[in-house]
Amino acid sequence: MSQSLVDADADDPAEAAPGPTRPTDGTGTGPGPGRRIDVRRLLRFLLRRPGLLLSVVVLVLVVLASFQPGLFTSQDPLKGVPTQNFHGPSGAHWFGTDELGRDVFSRVVHGAQLSLKATLIAVAVAFVVGGLLGVVAGFVGRWVDDVLMRCVDVLLSIPALFLSLALVTALGYGTVKVAVAVGIASVASFARVARAEVLRVRQALFVEASRSCGARWYSVLGRHVLPNAAGPVVVLATLDFGASILAVSALSFLGYGAPPPAPEWGTLISDGRNYLANAWWLTALPGLAIAATVLATNRIARALDGEWSRQR
Amino acid sequence: MTALPDVRSSRWAALTALVTTGVLLTACGSNTDNSGSGDGPAKSGGTLTFAVGSDAGCVDPQQVGSNDTIYSVRQLVDSLTDQDPKTGKIVPWLAKSWDISSDTTTFTFHLRSGVTFSDGSKLTAQVVKDNFDAVPKLGALGTLAQGYLSGVTSTTVVDPLTVKVTFAQPNAQFLQATSTHSLGIESSASVKRTPQQKCSDGVIGSGPFVLKQYVQNQSITLARRTGYAWGSSRWSKKGEAYLDKLVFKVVPEAGVRAGSLQSGQVDAIGSVGRANEAALKGGQVTLQRRANPGVVFGLGLNNSRPELKDARVRQAILFAIDRQQIADTVFPTGTRAATSVLAHTTPDYTDLSSDLSLDAAKAKSLLDAAGWKAGSDGVRTKDGKKLSLTIDWIPNSATNQPALELIQQQLKAVGVQVTLKQLQITQLAPTLQSGDYDVAWGNITRADPDILRSNFSTRLANFYRVPAGSLDTALSAQAATTDAAKRKQLVGEAQQLIVQNAYYVPVVELQTQLGVSKKVHGLAFDASSRIQLHDTWIG
Amino acid sequence: MRRYVIKRLAQAAGVLWAAYTVSFLVLDYLPGDPVTAMASAGMDSGQIDPQQIAALRHEYGFDKPVLVQYADYLGRAVRGDFGDSVATGRPVTSTLADALPQTLQLTGAALLLAVLLGGGLAVAATYTTRRWLRQFLLSLPPLGVSVPTFWVGLLLVEAFSFRLRWFPAFGNDGLQGLVLPALTLAIPTGAQVAQVLAKSLLTALDQAYVETARAKGAGRWRVHLRHALRNASLPALTVVGLLVGQLVAGSVVVETVFSRDGLGRVTAAAVTAQDIPLVQGVVVFGALIFVTTNLVIDLVYPLLDPRIVVASDRRASFA
Repeated sequence: MSQSLVDADADDPAEAAPGPTRPTDGTGTGPGPGRRIDVRRLLRFLLRRPGLLLSVVVLVLVVLASFQPGLFTSQDPLKGVPTQNFHGPSGAHWFGTDELGRDVFSRVVHGAQLSLKATLIAVAVAFVVGGLLGVVAGFVGRWVDDVLMRCVDVLLSIPALFLSLALVTALGYGTVKVAVAVGIASVASFARVARAEVLRVRQALFVEASRSCGARWYSVLGRHVLPNAAGPVVVLATLDFGASILAVSALSFLGYGAPPPAPEWGTLISDGRNYLANAWWLTALPGLAIAATVLATNRIARALDGEWSRQR
Repeated sequence: MTALPDVRSSRWAALTALVTTGVLLTACGSNTDNSGSGDGPAKSGGTLTFAVGSDAGCVDPQQVGSNDTIYSVRQLVDSLTDQDPKTGKIVPWLAKSWDISSDTTTFTFHLRSGVTFSDGSKLTAQVVKDNFDAVPKLGALGTLAQGYLSGVTSTTVVDPLTVKVTFAQPNAQFLQATSTHSLGIESSASVKRTPQQKCSDGVIGSGPFVLKQYVQNQSITLARRTGYAWGSSRWSKKGEAYLDKLVFKVVPEAGVRAGSLQSGQVDAIGSVGRANEAALKGGQVTLQRRANPGVVFGLGLNNSRPELKDARVRQAILFAIDRQQIADTVFPTGTRAATSVLAHTTPDYTDLSSDLSLDAAKAKSLLDAAGWKAGSDGVRTKDGKKLSLTIDWIPNSATNQPALELIQQQLKAVGVQVTLKQLQITQLAPTLQSGDYDVAWGNITRADPDILRSNFSTRLANFYRVPAGSLDTALSAQAATTDAAKRKQLVGEAQQLIVQNAYYVPVVELQTQLGVSKKVHGLAFDASSRIQLHDTWIG
Repeated sequence: MRRYVIKRLAQAAGVLWAAYTVSFLVLDYLPGDPVTAMASAGMDSGQIDPQQIAALRHEYGFDKPVLVQYADYLGRAVRGDFGDSVATGRPVTSTLADALPQTLQLTGAALLLAVLLGGGLAVAATYTTRRWLRQFLLSLPPLGVSVPTFWVGLLLVEAFSFRLRWFPAFGNDGLQGLVLPALTLAIPTGAQVAQVLAKSLLTALDQAYVETARAKGAGRWRVHLRHALRNASLPALTVVGLLVGQLVAGSVVVETVFSRDGLGRVTAAAVTAQDIPLVQGVVVFGALIFVTTNLVIDLVYPLLDPRIVVASDRRASFA
């Protein structure tokens, strides 16, 4: 549960909001939509950073696995050969077999689907709800801003994991419910960043200009404010992605995810705990998959946040 | 498999044959008893740290049915009688002797004098009466103890050390029942508390250890009772227990328990699964095994559910399960696949293995006949409804989940979809009582076939919602008869009825397997494959 | 100064009240019927018959309008009464109080480790002139925040308890038993400390006063520690509240991994048992920890840096 870490690292809203690092002139240096990405430059950028390249490769593989697990393994994740249980990693079973003789690699690959789905839902909930709150607060201002931001402060004061656990208690178990619980727990950081961005853009010259020209509020919001404010929120979403994978897998590790035999990543490790003394691969290797995925998304998020924009 | 009743008095000779349960209990015990095999003389003192996998959320022996917790709370109380694990014979404990009427309706116990509870109060006939009067009011968690006392009409104090228990009908199982932890005697002050208070705050017993601290889901700490001098006649040490302190730690992961035993952090661990046997063998650890008598692990079907009302569906489930595969993959070495609803170590067990063989083709044709047609996704449907069942289970043993995942696969192969739903241990009894479940996974240990009546009689709790019928007749008759041969025949009949109608789907026998450090001596199983730690010492 | 303190206290109370309200909304209002949930989770509630439900409903006040319930609950909560745990029947407050010392021990040790390891790493990374070493050191914090804590804990158990047998694999046995759990809990937090501190150290090293100190002839190490670190750690202090909250919440996972007694394990069990009053107590307690830590920091801050009182209004929204 370390989503606040991302705030502290790159987007501490208190610092980021009034900070000078972000362009405020709105003349097109912001990562606005419709901006063509130069493929050659992107490649060059990547090649100079082998770590980043590796991260992209890892993420692509994980995403592929979650949509087309058949590309990576032909073994059944739910049914194994019970007589072949507890085989260590080998050519036939890259990650070994579990207590019922199921192929662990296949379970990790198929588990990507569940865990990534949960993560996407969590990030989407945080992005949509948090973004909406932030935009409303920033755009409307006055007492609405005050009320909404006080609520956000309160959400921030409850440790994220506790908030998620309270939601799980109220909603019940399951992949989607866990995902929603994790998403709501990070709504607050999204709201803050979105609000700060909207405030920043709103005060920018070109918005003032279009307002004084008599543009309607919604056209100002849609044409100018949202596109220019979206960048940092999208970056936060990528950063939140890694944190959400960790949070979702922690909750499924605690046993609040999908019931067996569903191979959620956290569940795999939690099941493997029973065999810690005789089959290390049941905990070590699925954990490696989680760590690699989170590391990769965090690296990419950092690149999006700093290095790439600085390069331009 | 022969019953050798130890005939003490002709007055209850016939009865002894009946209640000499667990005669065959020693089967498949590899080194079940290492008492006296120590190096050098036994020593007093020290702490035994025992890691168990779960906590039942309750420290009242009268309300606990889960082995992991019985290990500790059994030490808090003494029972009227004890049962010899080798012969199944009932021997004196708090009761010096007893008389049983020829029709087995009245039981008179002559209590030992000088027994005190840890609150200082004395054991008298009145205390026993208070206990037996309170048990029927225990509520959902006390069903085991309540079953033992069902049909009791009165408990009367004859004189300060003589108590008489009278039943409306002959009650052959009662003497053995008095040897169980469920009817362990608590002080009068203790039994007056509410069931929930007794669960969370503990009870006052006269046992060789007293409760020092209970932290739910974490640990149970017991200390030696000083001045204890009324041990079971079975125990070798007289007077107080050897050990100063017993610490039971709840460590849910079998792998962590095994690793901690190897590294010497704990002295003994409960429920060692097959997976950890290899790691524990050799070294400073002994594996102790003993098959538990009673109702085997299996699927308790809710016979009132629309899908499960149909005997063909129930039988299909019975035939679809590969018991041997489950026993061989998940359970400790030597565990037997179920061959009846009773474990083979239970008295009057009947071998029904021919009715319990794997026959997937038969299972499929039964489901076809019942109108459940194979669907496109492999799950059968009838009138647009999927054949989908939820199995409720509790994490009181590391073997439960893998065993159920195998069952899930095996039932899927014949077109039955299974969802596994984990409950808290404290939730199981209320769930069974409420009837809001499809299937429940579990077993019940008891060294007397009367456990069938407790579980399947429609006149008692009837958790499985079995329809009233000839099974009731057989169950009531076996409890009432004083004729050993007649009882065996009736118990056999009951087993056949349960298996053939598939009211319950037997899967695998429970074999308790403990891992014990070699420095621990005299840690032995009792007749129900639980432990008594009075004679245990560390050297 | 006195007005400042009173204002901070009032704000802290306000946040706590709001946190309680959030927990009330989530736990008592959100579930369709908390009573049925409680009845099925409770231990001696056996058959869920309508009469019993009605009795429970009355006992918990669910037959009253929501606002009345809320006022009722809040009134009791202010006096420290969060009701009784549904699963054990014990008062929530004493259940938490009993579990707290173990968890404070764990989180205290973890915070210490996190500050030492994270701080040390940040200082070393910014001090060294070797490029490869700096790169290597700076690559550790991102790694630390990316690994799942439960996984790290299990790997440590595997290595140090089962193979090397240096530390116990579970339990609360003394200092020995504290090492692995505290280390596990400290890794993500330490990584965050390192990230924040390294960033502000680099900023501080660019500041004019550092130049001045250098110009006056202070040694490099002295400048680094005396001047830059002192100033850099002030902004880092502001995230401590967040980190302490995280550590307490992290104890849920770590105490589960190491089967340690404490608040975290109580919480995990409460969630599994749908023990609503207990979970509510935990949530409010989490907020209390966060608010208290921030309050202490806010009150200490002006002593360390007198400039801050002037700027206090903007930071107020964090309290």
